[in-house]
Amino acid sequence: MTVPAHAYDPEAARSLIVEVSERSGQNLLACYQCRRCAAGCPVGEETGYVTPDRLIRMIALGDRQAALENELVWRCVSCYTCGTRCPNDIQTARITETLKKMAKEAHLEPLRPKIADFHSAFLESGVRWGRANEMEFMGIYEVKGALRSMKKKDFKSIAEELKTQADLGLSMFKRKRMHMGLQVSAGRKEIQRLQKKASQKKR
Amino acid sequence: MDIAYYPGCSLKASSALYDVQSRRVFEGLGIYLKEIPDWNCCGATSAGKVDDFLAMAMPARNLGIAEATGLAEMVIPCSACYSRTLVAQNRLEKDPVLKDTINAELSRKVGGGIKVSSILEVLLTAVASGDVAKSIRVDKKTLKGFKPACYYGCLQTRFPEAVPVPDDVENPQGMEKVLKALGIQALDWSYKTDCCGASAAVTDADASDALMARIMKDAVARGANCFVVTCPMCQLNLDAYQDRLGPKHGIRERLPVYFITEILGLAMGMGVEELQIDRHLTDATTLLKELELI
Repeated sequence: MTVPAHAYDPEAARSLIVEVSERSGQNLLACYQCRRCAAGCPVGEETGYVTPDRLIRMIALGDRQAALENELVWRCVSCYTCGTRCPNDIQTARITETLKKMAKEAHLEPLRPKIADFHSAFLESGVRWGRANEMEFMGIYEVKGALRSMKKKDFKSIAEELKTQADLGLSMFKRKRMHMGLQVSAGRKEIQRLQKKASQKKR
Repeated sequence: MDIAYYPGCSLKASSALYDVQSRRVFEGLGIYLKEIPDWNCCGATSAGKVDDFLAMAMPARNLGIAEATGLAEMVIPCSACYSRTLVAQNRLEKDPVLKDTINAELSRKVGGGIKVSSILEVLLTAVASGDVAKSIRVDKKTLKGFKPACYYGCLQTRFPEAVPVPDDVENPQGMEKVLKALGIQALDWSYKTDCCGASAAVTDADASDALMARIMKDAVARGANCFVVTCPMCQLNLDAYQDRLGPKHGIRERLPVYFITEILGLAMGMGVEELQIDRHLTDATTLLKELELI
């Protein structure tokens, strides 16, 4: 853990665990660290020392920064294996999903910007047109990534990304797996109105 | 029998073949898919990561439209759409305040009551009634050559909330039962509900390649000659990335990734072009020629 015992702040810890519990709908206090979640996590090899049980512990200890900026929050694939196996029914994927949103609200640079870009590009396309348009949101996702790399003057990764996507795109095109037309649902207006109302309420 | 049908965005784009096959195969079983009008994106797994309210509101609108058709059941072939819609239905039932907030802007309100089914639930009803067995038009011996590893992925059986799960969570059997009705013996294997990485195939390639490599290796070790799937995301990932992850993880074998509707369609005597099996990214026709199905 990143917070040493003498730095423990009960008030900060309480507010963090209450916020995450309420927003994710999970009872984090029920975790008794059996680590069944850690044993089954498919991305365990990618997330370093942060396993679902340890993420819950970080939150209980009030380490806000560590909870918002770690590999598990960003690389969790939301497969729901940990939550399905948890003897106390804690769905950690809902916790990582909540922490992603909290990181965004705190204006933190996502640890894995590509993952954040993808999900927002997808959802924005779904709300903008009423249906997710693969070609459009993938295009926006790629441009966002290229702009980020350009800021860092990382031209090598732009070239690599372009080549990967061009290869996949070409083989999908050949097999008629790409759809060029725009899919639209007239009912998107209803969704957009709901979104607007919900965001006004938040403020 | 008429049944409401929610195709979802991917069945209208990269997995349009699954839409075509589902309609044909269900028709062959006497089930007519009635696409609900002007449906919208369910938000998929992205909504839960970006906006919890939209994750409920988007599938809610589709539920309202489906209920307005007056049909008793709606089938959703895509696992992500199925999961999101079932979870939203469950939550709205428990949270009348949220339901009222969302209903306020919907022209077709959510009441509750329509049964949301996965493609397997509907197919299993047709297995139980004997309609699947009756629909076979090819020599059953040719079908026996399939040695499939049935791959369910995540969202067919695991949900973020407690919803009624139609199959065993750790060892589902739905696909195996459908294939058995065709005389096909599916293999026992260990990775049927492991994750393929979904969107991580694009955003976190190393992680998802490692996941898919584990799935591939076990299927190959068990002697599988193909995968059978129901989820368009799993299908696209396993179909598109075998050449990328194979060299990285020392896998020389390539396995075709069939939708369950393709196996059913072939058994009903439909051809490769009719089912659009020629749209696969990993060769899926050589095996069919070897089995003398085409």
